[in-house]
Amino acid sequence: MKVSFILNGKPLTVDVAPGEYLVDTLRNNHVLSVKKACNESSCGACSVLVDDKVILSCSYLTQRVEGKKVLTVEGIQKEADELSDYFSDQGADQCGFCNTGLALTIHALRKELKNPTDEDIKNFVVANLCRCTGYQAQFLAIKNYLEAKK
Amino acid sequence: MEVAHYLKPKTLKEAYDALLQSPRNVLLAGGLWLKRSTPSVETLIDLDELGLDKIEDEGDYVKIGAMTTLRQLELDPLIKNLQEGLIVKAISQIVGVAFRNSATIGGSVAGRYSFSDILTPLLVLDAKLVFYPKEEMSLQDFLNLKGKLNSILTHIVIKKTRGLSFFKKVKITAIDFPILNVAISEENKKVKIAVGSRPAVSALAQRAAKLVNNASEITDAICKEASQIAVEELIFNSSVTASEEYRKLLAKTYIYRGLKEVLK
Amino acid sequence: MKIVNKKTPSIDGKGIMKGRPYFTDDLAEPNSLVVKVLRSPHAFARITKIDVTKAKELEGVELVLTHHDVPRRAFTRAGQGYPEPSPRDKFILDEYVRYVGDEVACVAAVNETIANKALKLIEVQYEILEPILDFEKALGNKVLVHPEEDIYEMFPIGFDPKNNVAASYEMEVGDVEKELAASDVVIDETFYTQAQAHVMLEPHSTNARLDYQERLVIYSSTQTPFHVRRILSQALDYPLSKIRLIKPRVGGGFGGKQAVHGEFFVALTTLKTGKPAKMVYTRQEVFESSYTRHPMRIRMRIGANKDGKIKAIDCHSLSDTGAYGEHSLTVYMVTGSKVLPLYNKVDAVRFGGHVVYTNHVSAGAYRGYGAIQGNFALESAIDILARKLDFDPLELRRMNMIDEGETSPIFEIMGEGTKGTAMDMETCKLQYCLKRGAELINWKEKYPYVQVGPHTIRSVGMALAMQGSGIPIIDMGAATIKLNDDGFYNLMVGATEIGQGSDTVLTQIAAEALMTTVDKVIIYSSDTDLTPFDVGAYASSTTYISGNAVLNAANKMKAMVIKEAAYFLDADEKDVSFDGTTFKSNDKEITLSDMANKLYYSENQHQLTATGSYVGQKSPPPFMAGFVEIEMDIDTYEYKILNYVSVVDCGTTINPMLAKGQVEGGVVQGLGMACFEEVKYNKRGKLLSNSLLDYKIPTMLDIEKLTTEFAESYEESGPYGAKSVGEIGIDSPPAAIANAVNNAVGVRIYDLPVTPEKIYHALKAKK
Repeated sequence: MKVSFILNGKPLTVDVAPGEYLVDTLRNNHVLSVKKACNESSCGACSVLVDDKVILSCSYLTQRVEGKKVLTVEGIQKEADELSDYFSDQGADQCGFCNTGLALTIHALRKELKNPTDEDIKNFVVANLCRCTGYQAQFLAIKNYLEAKK
Repeated sequence: MEVAHYLKPKTLKEAYDALLQSPRNVLLAGGLWLKRSTPSVETLIDLDELGLDKIEDEGDYVKIGAMTTLRQLELDPLIKNLQEGLIVKAISQIVGVAFRNSATIGGSVAGRYSFSDILTPLLVLDAKLVFYPKEEMSLQDFLNLKGKLNSILTHIVIKKTRGLSFFKKVKITAIDFPILNVAISEENKKVKIAVGSRPAVSALAQRAAKLVNNASEITDAICKEASQIAVEELIFNSSVTASEEYRKLLAKTYIYRGLKEVLK
Repeated sequence: MKIVNKKTPSIDGKGIMKGRPYFTDDLAEPNSLVVKVLRSPHAFARITKIDVTKAKELEGVELVLTHHDVPRRAFTRAGQGYPEPSPRDKFILDEYVRYVGDEVACVAAVNETIANKALKLIEVQYEILEPILDFEKALGNKVLVHPEEDIYEMFPIGFDPKNNVAASYEMEVGDVEKELAASDVVIDETFYTQAQAHVMLEPHSTNARLDYQERLVIYSSTQTPFHVRRILSQALDYPLSKIRLIKPRVGGGFGGKQAVHGEFFVALTTLKTGKPAKMVYTRQEVFESSYTRHPMRIRMRIGANKDGKIKAIDCHSLSDTGAYGEHSLTVYMVTGSKVLPLYNKVDAVRFGGHVVYTNHVSAGAYRGYGAIQGNFALESAIDILARKLDFDPLELRRMNMIDEGETSPIFEIMGEGTKGTAMDMETCKLQYCLKRGAELINWKEKYPYVQVGPHTIRSVGMALAMQGSGIPIIDMGAATIKLNDDGFYNLMVGATEIGQGSDTVLTQIAAEALMTTVDKVIIYSSDTDLTPFDVGAYASSTTYISGNAVLNAANKMKAMVIKEAAYFLDADEKDVSFDGTTFKSNDKEITLSDMANKLYYSENQHQLTATGSYVGQKSPPPFMAGFVEIEMDIDTYEYKILNYVSVVDCGTTINPMLAKGQVEGGVVQGLGMACFEEVKYNKRGKLLSNSLLDYKIPTMLDIEKLTTEFAESYEESGPYGAKSVGEIGIDSPPAAIANAVNNAVGVRIYDLPVTPEKIYHALKAKK
């Protein structure tokens, strides 16, 4: 069946199987920044935004994005570029498989929270798992980035 | 997950008719656990466009549409003010924001998940459930119901209460399922106590609450005794995450602490 | 130094954050066949009949393979040097299945849905066999995990499959029994460490295609591209020269991608169909069908005198390698060799025991690699000894631990699979690490614990740790540097970036030596056609081994460009000065850019390429003191990690921020193992922890603070003074946590993970 939505500002119509999940649709359509790591709503690597809300695309049926806006890292290139400077500064970029999902979660955080505390930041990104960094460098990078973007 | 057909009904009747057509037809709410619980589906009936995602102020009651997301609830002023934000205390510890942006209150309730962090507070809030086409029942009755209910949960109705509340989730990591959870609500020094993930589904500790509510004076000893009664009246079991014995210790400890907190 | 030991951004951080397609599955051909594997539902069974007719008839299915269709040549998936120190006990597909998740058959179809459907159409009849699910019962059991005759060891590793032994080892220095008998105090304790899952975020991924020269080109998320090529060639009986293995960006490995995974199946699919093929493990497959850390039972006997002198250590251990023997011997040996030298002043030390087969998921390499298991046992035992001797645990360690300029006989006796190499500790800043760590955690005020609330106490615990820097005389790395027109360089290395930052670190080393900037050195890593050899990313080897290779190549290149400059400046080489961009001699000068352009376009034309390689003659250990502060609820024994202090001697940090990242990432993985991570099976050997819902890893909220510092240290044999830093962080947390718990409530947890429930039961038993 056909599903039409706005991907990173541009209309797109895709042919999907019933029960297809958004992560697969996006990857099948060469939106390769979206990562599939656990495929069970548990790791955050597949995070994308649908109508400005961050969701887990491994558990979000493609049919549900009909008429909606989908945002991936391809749609926030400038922001991701800037964010990466803060990650570099803290040595927070290791394997990077979780980075794109995290970048989108941080994008959502900025839109939703004004003047977040350390706890607010951690609570917002806590389900974006990372096995490489031990998180502290990531946290400091995010904090510095948000501080600078105020 | 194999899905033969996908349907996005525009009316509850359409959804309901579809549900009745085959035992292999499944309702889709948030869909976060769908592929884990349901490997194969004939028709997936998406409840997304039935307008069930509203939180309505009905005077003495709050009426929550079943498709309201956990994140909506978490941020809603009515819910934040309800029983000292009890629901928010519980919901804010469920996985992460992205998860809660999709997960719905209706899906969480209808699934009757034994690991639910939502059922436990809803029990002490005495939530009422509204189904299409007709049933209405208390959450407690719904949890005791044997078998599947071939109806569609449309709303959860909660009385606006303003007492104190306590919620504790014992977990391994911050985004984990509970090893055990405890919710206590208080209004005019009367309490309700529920314990979930024992590992069975949440249940009220009614005898324990009764002891407290009938006591002429709330003492430390009463709180201790109530916590002891609670672990005796409720059934605890062992699972891969904790033994029965340790779960009882946790329940006792947190019921006691919770009672002290809401009755201080 | 201008580049090395200076804050330098990762060369790839931007591209990765911006989602450039560079992981293995991003690079699969879009029309790839999807390869799926039918996996055993039984812990141990023999396939008596397998019928694939219906699966083959399904439209869209291109290939179905069973053990009847694949070459039968025993190999090891371990991904180690050659000859392998692991038994060759695995076949691509076999009539026996030895764990739940073992491969039964493989299907290739036009898409995933059809491939999955085809799997269900394969009809298998099993003779279900009694499995061995308790590794303490494996040795000499009548049930044999490997009854087949055509498996073998490449050289003696104590392989004895008729007793379920994959490998065994014994060594003794001095007379342990005599020294123990002569000791004032002897402790004798047995510890258990659990299987841990790697949980790298990127699942094991691989894809294949035939190129225009009809060569097999494989992209794979691997830590060991050269080993994978060799093992594929051997297992498939296919010429090495016709295989090209490319490692794209890898989304974390931690040892879990050292071994071969789905490469056999995509290779066979492409060779048999001529079509591109791909395979991405599901998360369940990552848990059930890749590898875990070897679980172990470790008995530690330590004898000491009342004055605190440790006289003898006796370590006897049993390791569970699961269904196949990948890394069985080497992990086992590291349990002794990278742990016991911490207390080098003993009069006698003994280490030995067996590695046994069971019907569990195969164990393999995992960051820490035996050291974390041994460290938990030894560093827990040292605290037990300190209590018994009534010593402060820091003081007992200070008196007995290895120091700069010293050695241990173990270094010469024990290598990895073979003999080791004697070495003195030219850098060992443990004294500083211990002192500084104690200051940072405020040991004096907090040891053993302080009460901070009616039911809350805070306690501290610590452990020392050591690792190695590559496997001496075995691990080889090489690098080639090419000068380009306009005067920038290509750096081609076999070294394997897997997210740890080695591309950045190696670029920094080259840039430093060539006195240029990081942007003028373009690194390309891990492509068996294009880059020189390297063993890959394991054994904490890349910075030290591959880094030395890069340094050698860069020094050669520097000499080459100076030689050429001498020609253009009409001067003697020794009179030419070079600052990285300009050569000068007397009044004349020429820039590197101009010279390169002349070299390639107009005058004295020839290509400049320099290759360097390096084999370690020793493996200088990094050292660390790890200190933890926990806060415990003394009613429920739940505890939080407030701070983990790491003071590390890894020599020079080439990239200080990335080095810190290695330590912190290792510490948090170690804390996961210490506190709650555990691979669990049901009674029939089926993995219960086969998803991220059931197997938990730490999140950002689970550890409040990490404090990481580096000791000033310069290892002469390392590139710019560096030792390794990839694994050292993971080793100390299990013992540090167990020690902190003991300091909090006075009970010792002997089996990992240290859960609140275990503390509860231990206290109850004590009362």
